[in-house]
Amino acid sequence: MQQDKTWGNRIFDFLNHGLLLLIGIVTVIPFIYILAVSFTSPSEVAKGGFILFPKEFSLAAYRYIFSTDTLIRSLGVSIYITVVGTLINLLFTSLMAYPLSRRYLRGRQPILLGVLFTMLFSGGMIPTYFVVKSLHLTDTLWSLMLPTAISAFNLIVLKNFFQAIPDELEDAAKIDGCNDVGVLFRIVLPLSMPAMATFSLFYAVAHWNSFFSAVIYINDSQKWPVQVWLREIVILAQSRIGDTSIEETEIQPLTIRMAVIVFSTIPIMLVYPFLQKHFAKGVMLGSVKG
Amino acid sequence: MKATKKKAVAVLSTLALVTGLLAGCGSDEGQAAEGGVQNVSIAIAQVGDVPSKDNEVQKKIEAYTNTKLDVQWIPASAYNDKINVMIASSDMPKIVKVQYNPTVTSAMRNEVFWEVGPLLKDYKNLSAQNERFFDNIKVEGKIYGVPVFSDIARATVIYRKDWFEKLNLKVPTTADEWYETIKTLSTSDPDGDGQDNTFGLMLFKRYNEDQYSFTTRLGVSFGAPNKWKVEDDGSFTPEFMTPEYKQVMDLLKRLYDEKLLNQDFAVFDSTEAEKKYDSGLVGMRVGVAQNGKSQQERLSKNDPDGVVDIAGLLGPNGDRVAGQTGNSGILAFPKSTVKSEEELKSLLAFIDKLMDPEMATLLMRGIEDKHFTKVGEDQVEMSDFDGFQREVKPYRDNFPYVEGYNVPKLKDTELGEKGTELAKALAEHAVPNPALTLYSPTYGDRGADLDQMIADAQTKYIMGKIDEAGWQKEIENWANAGGNKIREEYAEDYKKQAQ
Repeated sequence: MQQDKTWGNRIFDFLNHGLLLLIGIVTVIPFIYILAVSFTSPSEVAKGGFILFPKEFSLAAYRYIFSTDTLIRSLGVSIYITVVGTLINLLFTSLMAYPLSRRYLRGRQPILLGVLFTMLFSGGMIPTYFVVKSLHLTDTLWSLMLPTAISAFNLIVLKNFFQAIPDELEDAAKIDGCNDVGVLFRIVLPLSMPAMATFSLFYAVAHWNSFFSAVIYINDSQKWPVQVWLREIVILAQSRIGDTSIEETEIQPLTIRMAVIVFSTIPIMLVYPFLQKHFAKGVMLGSVKG
Repeated sequence: MKATKKKAVAVLSTLALVTGLLAGCGSDEGQAAEGGVQNVSIAIAQVGDVPSKDNEVQKKIEAYTNTKLDVQWIPASAYNDKINVMIASSDMPKIVKVQYNPTVTSAMRNEVFWEVGPLLKDYKNLSAQNERFFDNIKVEGKIYGVPVFSDIARATVIYRKDWFEKLNLKVPTTADEWYETIKTLSTSDPDGDGQDNTFGLMLFKRYNEDQYSFTTRLGVSFGAPNKWKVEDDGSFTPEFMTPEYKQVMDLLKRLYDEKLLNQDFAVFDSTEAEKKYDSGLVGMRVGVAQNGKSQQERLSKNDPDGVVDIAGLLGPNGDRVAGQTGNSGILAFPKSTVKSEEELKSLLAFIDKLMDPEMATLLMRGIEDKHFTKVGEDQVEMSDFDGFQREVKPYRDNFPYVEGYNVPKLKDTELGEKGTELAKALAEHAVPNPALTLYSPTYGDRGADLDQMIADAQTKYIMGKIDEAGWQKEIENWANAGGNKIREEYAEDYKKQAQ
């Protein structure tokens, strides 16, 4: 095949690769920078001397953030709400999406309209807070997982995915003695693994990043997910300066802020490679299937 | 086989979920007071790490005040949102630390919180404090909480003494002197490294916003009002329409034009600016009196020979310091949770006790032989400052305290002691903001946008993107967009309160 390439093709390929490489570098460098800063001694950062490769390697920032159990505990909380929360999401979303995908279900349209309605209009923060509060969910981790158990958008996409599964399969299963629950768990869901993988990633990332609902619903600092601390350490350092508060807020050194970013980002990044192959398939939901 | 297993897993997980749900519902609610111990629930701002529930400081506070504290720490990054939700849902503990902002003041106007003004005289420590602290939090003339006291005036010049001596400079007072000083500092290589890398002054993007505004602080020293001026006929003029304030803008414009000011100040991050100060590249700044000491500490790490000093912001007319709110929040008592006046009184007594000598010492100095040690009569020295910052500061920053009241003196570095004294002395020269407690519905609605409009226009003027006529036009825009209405509303409310 090699000889088929004209000079024009080669130049095109070359430019293409060059461009992609450039974009790749531009996206990766900030991460490397953050990683590098987190492993540098604060004084070197203050001098602003290095670009990507620090001279003085130091674990001080990590030693600092692990000196109390706050971050580790909150990481545990985050992992818990991500894992359990995502399972809840997947269970409830598919439980609702499957019936809605069956054309013979009566009253399907009004329900779908209702779902659509919630995508356009939401109750707002305070009514939602009241709901959570009157269900006695405040101050529990459930408040982070249950109110968002079904995302309307994901539900509709998943419904469409289920619709693409032929009715004949369902008929066959029923003839073999499967009830509706059986059809969902034994036929439909196993066939939908790419979609499930995709949605678990969507949901998991959302849970991992949940910050605002945690602050609003949870009063007990022992139950805060890691993002609350991350935000406290990283954002505050910028906004609170210029003697806003009592005397002076100590600004966490840049190295510590970067270490917290690394620490709170890596776990969710680790999940990605494992789901990636499904992800590629799952996103192509609407496209032509072989 | 495989399928049944999966089914079992599905059923099990549903079951687990339901039981978990039920378990989640049984949250503990309401504990009764036991043996005369008062339960005090309080929502305050998180400072640093959240202390563990049974830490020594909290235990000492509980023992002294005979209370059981239930502290709810709110992260500062979402403080106001959380408070707004709490107010809107009446879901509040007995004491809430709020900020004096439109949402809170309108809640106060609507009697969401108890009025405490008439009761304060019964509490020895609270009534002993300067009335200004309480005046500054009035809403329609009433006091709805106890301020967490902070210095009323503390703007100072923090400067490099060694450079000033080397270059034979003195702390500037007029706009022209400021210009000359900054020019000398940035052009004559005070750090002696042969490079043109020093700045006389460094600004960052929020230089003209809030009560910490550099332009307001400098303007006041030149004779401008603090944010608002009350004219003789009772009308209100914003600071940026006064000639004295204009001097600051013209000074900055001149510095900018001649490249004596960092050219990227409009987008410059404050942390970056701090770094420049810390690494010894900048000659002076307007900051808080107490910051001199920490500035010295940070500078010494990078430049062991650097010497920092502080001085009052002396203007051509003597000391004039922009007054601040004098609090870092207000401890308010929601009517929805504090049911009776009796309970309110006991909570006030609790707060008052926090200012007794024993508690004041705990909050401001920490625990003896742990955080501080005695050095002579009524004087102490910090022995574990880091420990203090981690363990005590979270409480101190949220409870009322006044440096020098009921607390042993702190033996500090010379600069540290000078800062404390200067901050005290400056309070007498404070120029108050007359609009601080006035009510303007328009400002409540659109104040932030209007402020931003002027702040942006100032930046444009300094950078030469608009000229004198353009600036006047921006002021007109501001006036038409609601500025005039604010002026009228302030004047009206001012008249009402004066009666």
